[in-house]
Order: sequence, then C-alpha cells, then structure tokens
Amino acid sequence: MAEQGHRSIIPSRFRGSRATEERFAYMLLAPVVILVGGLILVPVTGTFIKSFYRDVAFLPPVKFIGVLNYKRLLSDIHFLQSTLFTVLFAIAAVLFETVLGMFYAVVINEKFRLRGLMRAIVLIPWAIPTIISAKTWSLIYNFNYGLLNYVFTHLHLSSHPINWLGTSASAFFSIVIADVWKTAPFMAILFLAGLQSVPRELYEAAEVDGASLSKQFFRITLPLLRPVIVIALVFRTIDSLRIFDLIYVLTGGGPGGSTSSVSIYGFKSYILGDFGYGSTVSVFTFLLIFLFTVFYLKAGRFSEGLKL
Amino acid sequence: MKKFSSYNEIKKFLREVIFIRAKIIKLAATVVVVILLTTISFTGCTKPVEKPVEKATIVFAVGGASSEVDYWHGVIDKFQTANPNITVDLLLQPMETETRMQTLVTPLSGKESTPDVFLMDVAWVGQFAASNWLAPLDDFISKDNYDLSVFFKKTLDFADSYKGKLRALPVYIDSGLLYYRKDLLNKYGYNTPPETWDDLVKMAQKVQEGERKSNSNFWGYVWQGKQYEGLVCDFLEFIVSNGGNILDQDGNPVINSQNNVQAVTFMRDLINKYKISPPNTYTEMTEEPVRTTFQSGNALFERNWPYAWGLHNADDSPVKGEVGIAPLPHFAGGESAATLGGWHIGMNIYSKNQDAAWEFIKFVESFDTEKGFAMNLGWNPGRQDVYDDPDVIAKAPYLKDLRAVFIGAVPRPGVPYYTKLSEAIQRYVNSAIAGKMDPKDALDKAQEEIKTIIAQYTG
Repeated sequence: MAEQGHRSIIPSRFRGSRATEERFAYMLLAPVVILVGGLILVPVTGTFIKSFYRDVAFLPPVKFIGVLNYKRLLSDIHFLQSTLFTVLFAIAAVLFETVLGMFYAVVINEKFRLRGLMRAIVLIPWAIPTIISAKTWSLIYNFNYGLLNYVFTHLHLSSHPINWLGTSASAFFSIVIADVWKTAPFMAILFLAGLQSVPRELYEAAEVDGASLSKQFFRITLPLLRPVIVIALVFRTIDSLRIFDLIYVLTGGGPGGSTSSVSIYGFKSYILGDFGYGSTVSVFTFLLIFLFTVFYLKAGRFSEGLKL
Repeated sequence: MKKFSSYNEIKKFLREVIFIRAKIIKLAATVVVVILLTTISFTGCTKPVEKPVEKATIVFAVGGASSEVDYWHGVIDKFQTANPNITVDLLLQPMETETRMQTLVTPLSGKESTPDVFLMDVAWVGQFAASNWLAPLDDFISKDNYDLSVFFKKTLDFADSYKGKLRALPVYIDSGLLYYRKDLLNKYGYNTPPETWDDLVKMAQKVQEGERKSNSNFWGYVWQGKQYEGLVCDFLEFIVSNGGNILDQDGNPVINSQNNVQAVTFMRDLINKYKISPPNTYTEMTEEPVRTTFQSGNALFERNWPYAWGLHNADDSPVKGEVGIAPLPHFAGGESAATLGGWHIGMNIYSKNQDAAWEFIKFVESFDTEKGFAMNLGWNPGRQDVYDDPDVIAKAPYLKDLRAVFIGAVPRPGVPYYTKLSEAIQRYVNSAIAGKMDPKDALDKAQEEIKTIIAQYTG
C-alpha cells in the first residue's frame, strides 16, 4: 500500500527515470537549503570573517587586523572569568536539570489519578518567559521582603535576613536553582517521550527474572533512553552556555563581575559599537558550544544509539 | 491522526480536501473582491484632499514609564495639530536604559533612516556622536537663528558638542541629590541636613539606633550600589566630593588616586563598618529599590535623582510632607558633587526627513513643552528660562535650588568608549564594596584596565 501510494502522489511529469526523481528531490530540498543558507550560513560566515577586523563604529575605517581580536580576548582576565563562570554554570545547571527532569519524567510516566493535571503542572515553569521567571526569582531572593528570607527568619533558620546574591558562590547557586526550576520540565518532556517508546514487555520480563526497580531503571530505562538523553543534553548545554536574561535580571553580573557570562560580555561589546570584537566573542562562544556538542556525541556513542 | 485502510480511501480523502480547499479559495476571493469594491467606491465618493506641499512622516523613538509615554503622546498630538504636514510615529522603546540604547545601536549601525529622532541618555551622546550617527544641528540653528542661550551652557559644551559641532540638545536634566527625613532629624535634635559625610554617618547612626527599637528594617542611608550604571554615578559623587576623578583633564586615568581609595573605602564602610547601609546595597540597590525603601519610611537618608521628589510627596506616600532635599555631602576639605544625568534629543544622520525632524526637535525644546515636563512629570527642564516661570515655581519651589546644583553638576567622561570604562568601573567598585577586593587593589586593577581600554579605542 505504502509503495503504491508513494508512487502515485508524485506528479506524472516527475515520474520515471532516476534523474527526474533526483531533480524532484532537489526541488523539495531547495526551500530548506535557501533558508539554512540565507539565515544561518551567511550570517555565521559573516561573523567569522568580521572577527578578524577592527570594526568599531566610532573608529573608522574598518581594518583587517588578523588574530589581534582573539589575542585581546584571551588576555582579558574578565573574559576568562566570564568563560569559567559560564562553563561551570552550564555543567552544574545541566547536571541538576537532567537528574530532576528524569525524576519528573519517571513519575509522570506512571499511571495514577490526575496524571494529566500533574503533567501540566510540571510543564508550567518552562512555559513562563525567562524574563518573567527571572523577575519572580529576584523577588524570592530579595533581601528585604523576599519569600526565602521570610521563610528562613520565620522558621528561625536564621536570626537575620540573608543576602542571597551577596557572595560569588551564593549568587552562582541562586542562578543555578532559578535556571533548573525553569528548564527541568523541558528535560522531562524529552525523557517522557523516550520513556513511552520503551516496550512494557521488557519490564515484565525483568520482573519475572526478579530484577529490582533500581536495576530495571539502570539496566533497561537508562540504556534505551541514551539517544534521547544525549539530544536533551546537547540542547540544554547549548542553551545554558548562552545564558543571558536570567543573569541580567538577577545579578547584572555582580557581585564584582563574578557572575558575568560570555553572552553578557559580548552584549557589552555590541552596544559599545565594537562589532569586530563582539564577533570574536560570538565565534568563541560557537567554538565552546561546538566542543561540548562533539564531546557529548562521542561520549554518548550517539551514532551507535541511532542504530538501536 | 486519521488512519487509512486502503489506497482508495486515501484518494477519497485527498479529493475531499481539494474540494474543501477550492471552496475556501472561492470564499476568500469573494471577500477580497468585496473589500476592493467598497474601498474603490468610497475613495470615489470622497473629495480629493489638497496635496500639501511637503508631507513627511518621521519616527520618534522613546521609552520609559507609562506616564512619560502618555505625555509624549500628548506632545506628538499637539505637534501634529500645529504642523499638519508632518506625521510623527512613536516607536515605543523598553523602560530599561541599556536596552533602550540597544534598540538604537542596531538601526544606526545598519545606517537605517529611522528612527529619525530619539532620546539618548547623556552617557551615550559621546559614543553616538563619535560614531557619526548624529546629524550636526549647527546649520539648522544658524538658519533659524535659534537661541541657544536658554540652555545650561556646561551641558551644551560638555555633553552635547562633539568636535566643535552641536549634536544634541538637553530635554531634561538630572543630578544626584540627598533626600532626608525632616521629621526624624528634628526628633533626634538636628536642625540641618549633613554637610560632610562624617556628619551623615553620625546622624544616621544615632537615628538608626533609635528607630530600630520600633522598626527592625530601618536604615540610615540608602544609595545605588548594584553592579550597573547607577553605581558609577554614585561612585563619581563620592570621589569628586573628595577631590578625585576618573580621568584627568587630558583624559588620562587617575582612578587609583589616594583620595579615591579613601572614598571607596568609605563606601564599603557604610555597609560593613558603620552598618548604616543595608548589605543588599551591592546586590539589589538600583534607583527604584532605594526609592521604595525610603518612601516606605525605612530610611533616614537617600541618594536619588530628582524624579523621586514627586513620588515621595504623592498622596499615597507614607513620607509625604516630611522629606527635604539638599546637595550631597562631601569629605572634609572637599566640595559637594552631583553627577550630571538626563536625556538628550538627537537626529539620525541617515534620516530622510531632517527638516521635519528639526521642526519636531524645536517643538520638544519649546518653552511650553519643557514647562509641561516640569508641571506634569516633575522633570527638570533642559531650558533654564522655565525655572523662572511663576507656575513652575508655585508647583515645584525646590527647582530654584536644583538649578544651582545643575549648573555645577559633574559629567561622566564624555569619551566614545564610555560604556567600556563604565563596565570596568562597575565591576571593580562593586567588588570593593562587596568586600571581595581591597579598595586599593580594586582601583589599581581598574586603573590598569582603563589604560588598556584607552589604548584599544583611541587612534
């Protein structure tokens, strides 16, 4: 049936020789190629080229300077500090998100009363725009009238209000928590989709063989979910390496620049009108993300996973 | 998803889809034809309007609080009534200063012809002018014999001129002020606001100790210390009131001077040693948290811009009628300093309707519009003659004193790479007041970084 239907949907003038079918295939691909080329390839190449130029709006003319922008980037302590923060943030945030997301997914995959409602509730944080959830969290962490200090002082966990964003470490974890709260649901959806494709029979067989629940999780669920986990990790890592709005609202990069991210650093170059250096920061971010992605694909044996 | 059991069913389904689609297209076509016919017939009925000689549409970009945007809508309506040939489209920008800047950098660096006219924070004018994004106004001014003497001269010279050409005009002026609680000072036996920072500490400590008995949230002095542009404004006031500065007259960095180290140590001590400023000064304190802390009755002194005056004295304000304003204190042997703030109007150099844009700028700078800023928004007009107007004096008697403060206000460095300087200063000063870095160490590092920035962005 499939074969028959497939052949007759193709208009008659394209039917027949291999060459015409190929031409038809190219025609179908053309819109994607044009979109990807025009919207992604051209700007990315442009940014890459621009990173070798001095292009400052108030310092004409635009001048080729080779790798000077890159030299300057790597000798800027503030940039290195921003990179370190961004990488640590991505590792911590993605780690907690994966664990929490997996927990959510396993729970809402079970059959229980009000499961539909539960699934909706779990998803809510992810549906809220980041700028709004960031404002909400800044109210929670607020020194004078924040929820967290209210709880802490009323439960007598602390005699005086705590300045949650006050030190580099506490600001770091405050940002991680706000980010995990928001994005763990995203992980949960992806994992849930994966969980639903795991055949029930495997668990039934495992139960017959007397495997414990934890053994079932680590021997059946996790290995079968590996391709999904790798994809989820890639998505979330790319996102968290570009973190901007949450930090912009919560700390502004403070205290003392300790929570400044690579994107915030690039943004400041951009509004200064230094487009060459801003491009260099972008290219560097791209390389950073690229390294992480390659690592995941290799470590997760992704190509093998696809063949499963 | 529909499931098909046979090939014939698919064919049938597709035929149905095609049929429905044909019906939809027919319907849509009918609607279009009807709309077209009605428009044509209506235009046929109306009398052709006399074509104006020179019809222009300009785009004006502005942002801010809703009351401000409402006022701008009113300004535009009046302008359009007075100039029926010119249409002004308001391009609404965000509220936050840095994002407002970004919404201008994008079109201007792309040589877009709109927005034609926009407002700029005084701190960006240097960068925008040096980037050659602002049309010089000199020709318009000489053509119209436009009188510049009504503006604050120092503002025109230091903030609005670049390489001898006028690139912007001040719409309203801001400067840092000390707000204080008259009732509390009287209660604890003080008759005048503090002259020096030492006075401020003494008064604040005494009042704070007394008030804490009934209000555990009470603080002596609140000011802007978060890592953001506002911190640079407060920092500049502290160091200039101790005889220091960021750059010297030749543009060389002098940020790590002994006087500046002393001033930054004092800023840190306000939080750590005297404990009259809250710990969240360096994490959360921007203008609005500072204002609400003071306005809810939880502080004795406040550093803020003039906008806070009207809000403190609004009918729903708990401190209404109890607030006084004074110049900011200074260090022993120094002089009071206030950072120059405010917003300026400029014209896009790529604008295709520069004559219309100039008409609009003149209208914004007219006596009546500027008076409206003072009367409706509590802003401090960029024109000095408004300060002598009887209505304005009746409504805002304090403006008389403010005028003197504005004349002496200290501008931030007017260099094109100011954003970068500011970013470094914010980071190191915030580090010092957060206790992460020793003040001397922080300012030494800031000095080095500023030197590098200057080397990178000159010549």
